[in-house]
Amino acid sequence: MKRNPLVLFFVAAIVAAMLFAGIRIARNNRASGLGKGQLVGSLAPDFELPALDGKPLKLSDLRGKAVLLNFWATYCGPCKIEMPWFVELQKEYGPQGFQIVGVAMDDASTDDIAKFARQMGVNYPVLIGKDSVADSYGGVSVLPTTFFVDRDGKLIAREFGLQSRSVFVDHIKKALSQGQAVQAQR
Amino acid sequence: MKILLATALFLFSAWAWAQDDLGAPAQAVRMEPVPVATVVQGKATSIPLLFHLANGYHINSNQPRSEFLIPTILRVDPPTDIVIGKTTYPDGQDMSFAFDPDEKLSVYTGDFKVDVLVRPLHSAQTGKYVIRGTLKYQACDHAACYPPKQLPVSFDVKIAKAPSAPHKNPAQSPNVHQ
Repeated sequence: MKRNPLVLFFVAAIVAAMLFAGIRIARNNRASGLGKGQLVGSLAPDFELPALDGKPLKLSDLRGKAVLLNFWATYCGPCKIEMPWFVELQKEYGPQGFQIVGVAMDDASTDDIAKFARQMGVNYPVLIGKDSVADSYGGVSVLPTTFFVDRDGKLIAREFGLQSRSVFVDHIKKALSQGQAVQAQR
Repeated sequence: MKILLATALFLFSAWAWAQDDLGAPAQAVRMEPVPVATVVQGKATSIPLLFHLANGYHINSNQPRSEFLIPTILRVDPPTDIVIGKTTYPDGQDMSFAFDPDEKLSVYTGDFKVDVLVRPLHSAQTGKYVIRGTLKYQACDHAACYPPKQLPVSFDVKIAKAPSAPHKNPAQSPNVHQ
């Protein structure tokens, strides 16, 4: 039987496309630790972590507010780019019930993290991260990783790596519009 | 045959493309195999270790420009009888990246070489030894960074006997044969 080169080419193209898609899905899932559907849409895993001033902050205490949860590190250049945006966004949307929470995921000392946050003019709480908390969010193997939580405490979106400011604004607006605005306990 | 070859090439290209495009590999850095180096008892020899960084990634040089950045550091645990001397790192390339075009970072990209000075003691047994260590680095790409990693490093050296000192005749008194 004579093989048609065109057919062979198309078969190769389809196999290559499937291979690429498969690797992409597997790698993305490995990077996030969980499939997208497994985390987004469910309640944000609760945690309590110490802030830079030593006082603990519990995520569920922010129920009623839209929360941007940003995992970052002092060694992360792209994280530094987002921080001034976060400072502005906190000022702009804070009065509507929006709260940014930074979670520092590096080995640097608390003093160094505090120094870095001061240099960046951070106006939102920065918590000292733990692997167990990162694991509960699917493992944070890419920095920055940012989660958006609506007023009911439900995860509505997550972003890996540096995004444009407009992406954050869109998610923040969505988070503010979803769920019930109640008086936050903190 | 040509069709099969083209198909294989196509599949490989797709695979390579997928590898480059998707997130951080388990290790962004790999070490090239090092040929066995012969080192002489009591003599220091520089061993070049070649590392290769995956496309699209950079790591900080050994002397990053900010106190907050994590330097690339090679730690070597020599076997008994072998002393590790100075480790020489290449200068970093001053580069800026899309996430912050205004800031220059001192980084390694592509291939880079770290020289390790190895000196067996005079009393070291001759033969082959494995020297192990780790390269600590922290990689980023154009939009994200990845937690610090430790790359296991190992290379072999063969310790050879030091050449015996040239034999000198003892000084003789000019009067001995008189």
